[in-house]
Amino acid sequence: MWVLPFACACASVASGAPATRPAKVTKADKATAGIDALALALSGADEEAAAKAATALGELADPAAHDALLDGLAFGLRTPVAVEALLGLSKHPAPPDVSSFKRYAGHHNPSVRGTAIAALAKYPDPAAHAVVVQGLHDTAGVVRNAAADAASKGHMREAIEPLLALLARGEESAARALAAMADADLVRKIGDQLGRVPDASLALCLGLVLRRPDFGPDTERVEVVRAIAKITDQSAVSALTDYLDATPKNPPRPSRTEAEKVVEARLSGGAK
Amino acid sequence: MKRLALLALVGACGGNAVFHLTAPDNDREALSAALAQRQLPVQASPVNSAHVPRVFVLEVGMGPKKTIVAYDLAASSILWRQDADVQSRIWVGGNFVVELESKQLVARDQQTGAVKWNTSVPGEFIGASADGDRAYLVWKEDAHTWWLAAYDGSSGKQLWKADADGVLGAPAAHGGVVYAPYNAQWLSIIDGRTGKPLARIRGIDEQISVIRTTSRDAYYGSTQGVFELDGKSSSGKRADSSYGQIIVPPQLDHTTYGRDAYDPVQLAYTAADRSRILFATTEGMKLANDGYAVHYFRYVFGFDLKGALTWAYSNPRVELVASEDSGAAILAMSSTGELVALDPKNGGVRLQRNIGTTAPVLGATFDADGWSPPAQGERVETVKALVSIARDHDARFDRVKEFAVRALAQRPGGEVTKELLGVLADARAPQKLKDVVVDLLVARKDPASLSVLAEQLATHDDFLLQTTPLALGPVARAIAGLGGAKLDPAVVATTLAALQSHLDAPTTQVADLVFVIDAMAAIGGGKERPALGSHLLLYHADDDLGTDVAWGRAIVVALETHGGPGERELLRQVAADPRTKPDLVAVIRDALALD
Repeated sequence: MWVLPFACACASVASGAPATRPAKVTKADKATAGIDALALALSGADEEAAAKAATALGELADPAAHDALLDGLAFGLRTPVAVEALLGLSKHPAPPDVSSFKRYAGHHNPSVRGTAIAALAKYPDPAAHAVVVQGLHDTAGVVRNAAADAASKGHMREAIEPLLALLARGEESAARALAAMADADLVRKIGDQLGRVPDASLALCLGLVLRRPDFGPDTERVEVVRAIAKITDQSAVSALTDYLDATPKNPPRPSRTEAEKVVEARLSGGAK
Repeated sequence: MKRLALLALVGACGGNAVFHLTAPDNDREALSAALAQRQLPVQASPVNSAHVPRVFVLEVGMGPKKTIVAYDLAASSILWRQDADVQSRIWVGGNFVVELESKQLVARDQQTGAVKWNTSVPGEFIGASADGDRAYLVWKEDAHTWWLAAYDGSSGKQLWKADADGVLGAPAAHGGVVYAPYNAQWLSIIDGRTGKPLARIRGIDEQISVIRTTSRDAYYGSTQGVFELDGKSSSGKRADSSYGQIIVPPQLDHTTYGRDAYDPVQLAYTAADRSRILFATTEGMKLANDGYAVHYFRYVFGFDLKGALTWAYSNPRVELVASEDSGAAILAMSSTGELVALDPKNGGVRLQRNIGTTAPVLGATFDADGWSPPAQGERVETVKALVSIARDHDARFDRVKEFAVRALAQRPGGEVTKELLGVLADARAPQKLKDVVVDLLVARKDPASLSVLAEQLATHDDFLLQTTPLALGPVARAIAGLGGAKLDPAVVATTLAALQSHLDAPTTQVADLVFVIDAMAAIGGGKERPALGSHLLLYHADDDLGTDVAWGRAIVVALETHGGPGERELLRQVAADPRTKPDLVAVIRDALALD
């Protein structure tokens, strides 16, 4: 159930009353007045001004700006404004944001829920992870892509199984997310999907793992090369060729040598 | 003396004007005498001389021939099988059966199936019948002349014949008299031994085209209703006779009380034998067993005296090609030779056994009046039968399926609701049937079904699971119908959560969303308000949902009608928000009676 601060949002919108001017205007007062103005614009009828206000509020580190965004989202924003507000909110993540993102992750508009789900990558809250995982089941590809990206950025282990299921359906975003998240164990698990997922998707995924500078040691990369070598599709050669192109010859790497052998054998019509 | 001898000769061998338009009819005394002359058993019993219950089955044979299978119901064994070029139904006499083979009326020994005698049909075959001692034959000689003749059952000797200057229908016989329908308006009762006309009934306000005899009773009438032949029949009128009209649901159309005596097609076993009203009566045309049954192809339905369905039977896979109410059981034969006996009171299956036919069965004649296999506390599975009918994919029975789901919906309980939902889930079920089921679910208002409806809400649009909600709108409407009913609070909480999951689901269609909102408001008891309030705020300025009047009306009514002061204040604030879509503002202002 949402915790809705709509009562206060209602009051500020409905009254339209100007803020009471303080006796002495300080720097802080000026900032507050600016946030109030942006908050009013955010909830105003001018959609363009509202979107700009959302962006501006997101740039501010002031908690009041953050609260203004939460209030605006709580009262409901039109689609383009909601997208900006969600992006702004995620620039300064705070635990209370999750419920608001969760609410917009179910929005009828795929762009809105994609934005909300993408933003949840920054939140370690299990509730946030659950929303991202649910996004992997979404019927809209743009939302699944956003969820896959968020799962990758948030290193969400609970997303691995649905990502493998998406990989089996040939979803590129899942291949990229898994590649980004993969450690040695996950690479083996991905390699075991041979025959269960499209060859091209598997080759893309493992090829991306190979090109990750943080993946290693090289003995693990050798295993990845060997896993790719089992893929009979031409995409395997492309993945290994990309790896060869992206890595220097020297100092020599066993994984590169292994990749060269596989590519040469394939190009010369060999079995391997 | 010579003249008397000549008259006797005419009486034995030629026409004697038994049937003509000006003969007396509806004579009470003559009718009483005719009825008294019948030699009927004290208790209902088979016609055959041994009084053993039997069924005579006609199955497809080799080449153009067919095979008659005589089966002893009491001993559960085949008496005999005989190949024959049978072109009619089979009529059962005392120690013989008769049927048409080519242009011959053939009598066969009932113990062995061997031909006892045969006789040429001198014209167009119109029909035949038999009683304990005699066989009767009706034929058409030319465009203006019909004949009824009697033959000795043992020898085949013609005993008498009588001509008619109008249309004669197929006869029926029992107890030594033969009933001959004439010109669709009369029923003549003839002494089977002598051919003497005993009485004649004229239908004044109903045609006479159907005749049905049991060992003790005779019925006549039309597709509209049926008279029991008794002393009151002399009135010729429905109101003053022992008359009955049985309520048959419109979905079971073309169902009849018996064979049409004037339809030449029905001389053979046809599809008409597969849609029949089955009944037995006690004195004064009172229905025995507190009801009646309707055989409709694969199905048999039992009804009470008010015409309400009490039980149903669905024969597995194949049609029932013949049926009879023996008074003690509903007997039926399937096209695969399965003999079925049902308890006429509750549809319990007393017997279901293959009699050992080797080819498809075309039809059957039961001679089993008064007989039933012993009752053994058999299970009555009416719901299962109705479900089986509703799920039948045979497109011929779409209206019967509608009848079945309507009958099903009359029964309480979550299991029934689950079955109705199963019809909606059936991809091969006709859309019209699904529409009926939806209406029934909505009208059902069965509190015990709430948990089943909530379970149905568990499915969502899911790309990975490849699922989509099934009948979300109808299920929500059914739940909304439970508003005000006494419901289990725990089940309500579960249901509310399930409904909210669809309220919050991005893919819920607006048409369904409206019903989800209605359902939440109907059963929520106030607990739904935060979710509905949040939903309104989320979409009040939305270019799509916010402009949908049906959605606006649903959410506003839900909050205004079922909410408190807080919800009304929320509505006022939303109406005052300059971003709120004008149509939604109008709905709110209307609901709150704002200026």
